[in-house]
Order: sequence, then structure tokens, then C-alpha cells
Amino acid sequence: MSEIKECDLPGIGKKFTLALDSGDKLVVVIQFSGEREVFKFMKGSDEPSSVTTLTDEEARQIGAILSGTYFQPVLGDEQKLMMKNVTMEWIKITDDSTLANKKIEELGIRKMTGASITTIIRGETVIPNPRAGEIIKPQDTIIIIGNNDQINKFISTFEIKQRIENDRQ
Amino acid sequence: MIVNESVLSLGISLLALFIAGLLATKVNQSLTAVFIVVGMILQNFFPVTIITEFIAMLGIIFMLFMFGLEFSVGSLVNNQRKIFFSGIYDLIFNFPLGLLIGWLLGYDLIQSLLLAGIIYVTSSVIVAKSIIDLKRSANPETEYVLNVLIFEDMFIATFLAFIVGISNYGQIDAKGIFIVILKTSAFFAFFVVLAKTSKKFINKIIDIEHTELFVILILSIIVLSAGAASYVGLSETIGAFLAGLLLSETKQRHRISEAIKPFQQFSTAIFFVAFGMSIDYKHIGGMIPVGIFIFIISSFSKVYGGYFIGGKYALSKRAGLRLGLSLIPRGEFSIILAGAISMNPSVPYPIKSLTGVYVLMSAIIGSIIMKESDWFIKWFIERKDTAVKQTKDPL
Repeated sequence: MSEIKECDLPGIGKKFTLALDSGDKLVVVIQFSGEREVFKFMKGSDEPSSVTTLTDEEARQIGAILSGTYFQPVLGDEQKLMMKNVTMEWIKITDDSTLANKKIEELGIRKMTGASITTIIRGETVIPNPRAGEIIKPQDTIIIIGNNDQINKFISTFEIKQRIENDRQ
Repeated sequence: MIVNESVLSLGISLLALFIAGLLATKVNQSLTAVFIVVGMILQNFFPVTIITEFIAMLGIIFMLFMFGLEFSVGSLVNNQRKIFFSGIYDLIFNFPLGLLIGWLLGYDLIQSLLLAGIIYVTSSVIVAKSIIDLKRSANPETEYVLNVLIFEDMFIATFLAFIVGISNYGQIDAKGIFIVILKTSAFFAFFVVLAKTSKKFINKIIDIEHTELFVILILSIIVLSAGAASYVGLSETIGAFLAGLLLSETKQRHRISEAIKPFQQFSTAIFFVAFGMSIDYKHIGGMIPVGIFIFIISSFSKVYGGYFIGGKYALSKRAGLRLGLSLIPRGEFSIILAGAISMNPSVPYPIKSLTGVYVLMSAIIGSIIMKESDWFIKWFIERKDTAVKQTKDPL
């Protein structure tokens, strides 16, 4: 996996630079206004060859498409190997759960356990890639992703009792 | 009667601002410059009233408050080395130049210092907006441009406190400088200690659901700290700025910004108009050649300083030049500085009118230069390359 460089742009936002295998660079700027800009720099150039501006909403949708939430192509062997080490876990939030009625960002899940919440299922509605400010409610079902260690750590940290058997495996 | 007329003139000013601003956004010109021009035109129709003056003063206070509120202490701490060094180079290239020009124009030391500040400080509002509009936020030089801006703004906020303090004291001597620096540091220290020790307490106090009371509380914090600064003989602006910094660390930061923004936008616009109205037409003719002279010299030093910083941080020549060419526009801080001290009007080049001419020129031409920098860079680099070939001098 290539390294992502992060850099502050005081007054504008944050810049993330991803060096692609092809030698080109992809730069994402997240502005304080929430707008995202995606720049492509050709190899060795210091001026972008293309710019795309996305609203917060659009960026989330594109993000979900890129991460394969909507459609997953046939997996190659390498990806199958990766999927073996990655587990998704469905977790029902009980009324007395330590997760209930808290914002995702407050919980510091990724920092403490390494796992992350990919989806919240609330009755009939499904919230893919929930925002950091989203509040987890009792009776929600959340889907978390991580490797086995991270999932186990999540379960022990937040004292999860009710796990839902997962249909993959 | 007076009140009625001044309310009417305020209304006319606002309408004029709206129309001019609408035209300005159509051609992508900076609002700061346009607002000043509106003020210059309006002075022919009615005088600056007490109301305008009062709102203009609030304008500076709110501007500095918002600046403190949106100031990212985090990125200052994270990038302190880069910010410090690029900032220092920029300071060395540009600040002494203003002092020299002030001396040449026959200013005294306080006025020369003030002019140095006016010439030195690039407009972060204009430049940051241009960077976004021109889709340059991902360019390699941009983070250095922003680092220079953050240093300049920090420097000028402190400088402003100092220069107003000195001017209130009356003259520059060892004792005066000592007292003013002591006062300024004590004031800073008070806010730093407050921010460090009472974070939870402050968070709790300002956590008010009621919208109206929330706005009143925040306004009272802003105006009180501005007033306190003024009471101890410093600039109101530094009090507002520090209040902003203090509240920038709270959870309510975003809500505060939303609540105060309309006040700030309104009063800042009036501030620029009032500034435009105070520019004296009679003097402006004589100011223009001097203004052009200062503009050209200071643009060269900015561009060269930027190019130098680019070289230090191993940017390409093109990026280095773009860095320098992005630093030309002057704006809000230059105007705040110019209005910060009441001057003896008998000096040959009144600093307000001179600053007006200078800011108008650099804001408008500077934005155009930023936009059109590509062909200039191309021309410059090609010329340099042929020069290198001819002399075979490895530059």
C-alpha cells in the first residue's frame, strides 16, 4: 500500500497526497467548507492536469463506490487473501450498551481498537459510511470492519454481548 | 435629525456596496478594493457619520476576532519550523524596505514603522480566495504561501498591539518600548493562562442553548476584551484577536463563527467604506506616483523573497516564482494599520491616502498577476534559459 502524505493548508483545509504506482500523484484537498477537490498531477509536473470539485455529499457517494460498497468486482486471488484476514461483524446495540447514544467521534473506536464502523442499520434505514458526528442509538445494528484482533479488541473494549451471526465465512 | 440622516446615508452606502460588490464578483475582483472605491465615491455625497465610524470600529474588532477564532493553533504548532523560517525570510526581504521608504518620504520613526507594516503584510483574505478560485490548493508552492501568510498575520497582530501602544505612549524610547512590550506580553500571558487553565470552565459557560443569549454572551466577551485592551493603552484589535484565539479552542467554535459572521461581514464592509471616505481626493494626485513607486519596489521584493523561499525548500523554479507572484496583493491588514494611529496631518504624504492608493493598486493588479502568472513565468524561465545558454553560467 502506498503512503498517504497529509499536510495542513492553514485557512483552506487539509491536503492528502497519494503517490500512485504509475508515478502520477493524486491529491485530495478537503476544504473547511466541506468541499473536496481532487487533483491529478502527471509524473514530474507541479501543476495539476485535472481538477474535480465535489460537495460533501458527492464525495461520500464516490467514496462508497470506490471502496466497493455498491459493487464488488470478481476478486482475484490476492484480494481473496485480503478478505480472509478482514472480518465484518454485525453488532446489535442494546439499551444498556456503552456505545448507545454516543457520537461516533466521541467513542474513538478506531484509535482504541483499530476497527471502524462502516454502516449503521436503523430500522428500515441504512446509513453507509456514517459521519463522525452520527449518534449511535439503542436498537441500531452496526457493521464494523477490521482484522480478527481488531474485532476482538472492539468486543472486549465495548463489552459487546449480542453478536449477530454473520452470513459470510 | 442627525440620526435620521445618518441612518439614510448608511442605507445608501449599503445599497451601493451591494451593487458594486455584485459587479465585482462578476469579474472576480476582490471585494476589499471595491468597497474602498465605493467609499471614495460616496464621500462626495455625505460625510462619515458617528454611526459609520462606530460600525467601522466594530468592523475591525470583529475582523480580528474572527481571525483569531479561525486561526489554527494546531497547524501553527505542527508546522512551526517551516512557518517560522519561510516567515522570517519574507520578513527580512520586505519589512526593512518599508522602513527605508518611510525614511525617504520624511516620516518619523513611528510612521516609518507603520508604513513598513503596511507594505510588508500580504492580504491573506485575497490570496487564500484566489488560491481556491484558481484551483491551486494542491500545488506544491501553496503550503509555503499559506505558511508565509500565517506568519505575517501573527506578526502583524502583535505588531499592531505594539505600534498602537507606542503611539499612545507618545514617543519611541527605551522606557516606552519596555513598558509597551511588558503590557503586551502581560496581556498575551493573561489569555494564554486563561486558555490553559480554564478550558473546561469556559466551555461550560458558553454552552448556552438559547440562541439570543448565546450571541449576547459572545459579543460581550469580544467587546469586553477589546475594551480591556484599550483601557490598558493597547489596541482594541489585540483584545478581540486574543478573545478569538481563546474561543477557538472550545467545542462551540463553529457555532460562534456562524453567530458572529453576519455582524462581521456587515461591519467590516462599512469599515472599508469609511476608510475609502477618509481618503482625501486633494492629496490623491500626488500620491499616485509615490504609490506606483512603492508598489513596484515592494512587488519585486515580495516576488524575489518568495522565489528565494522556494529555492530554500527545493521547489522548482516555476513553483518558486508562483510562490512569489502570489504574495503581491495587500489588503485588510494594511488598511487596519493605516487607520490604527491618528496622524499629524501635516506630513507631506498622509499615510491613509498613500495606503489607499497602494492597497487599491496591489489588490487589483496583484490579483490579476496571480491569475496571469503562467505566461510571465514561462517568459521568465525561457529568458533565463537562453541567458544561461549564452553565458554558459550554471545558475
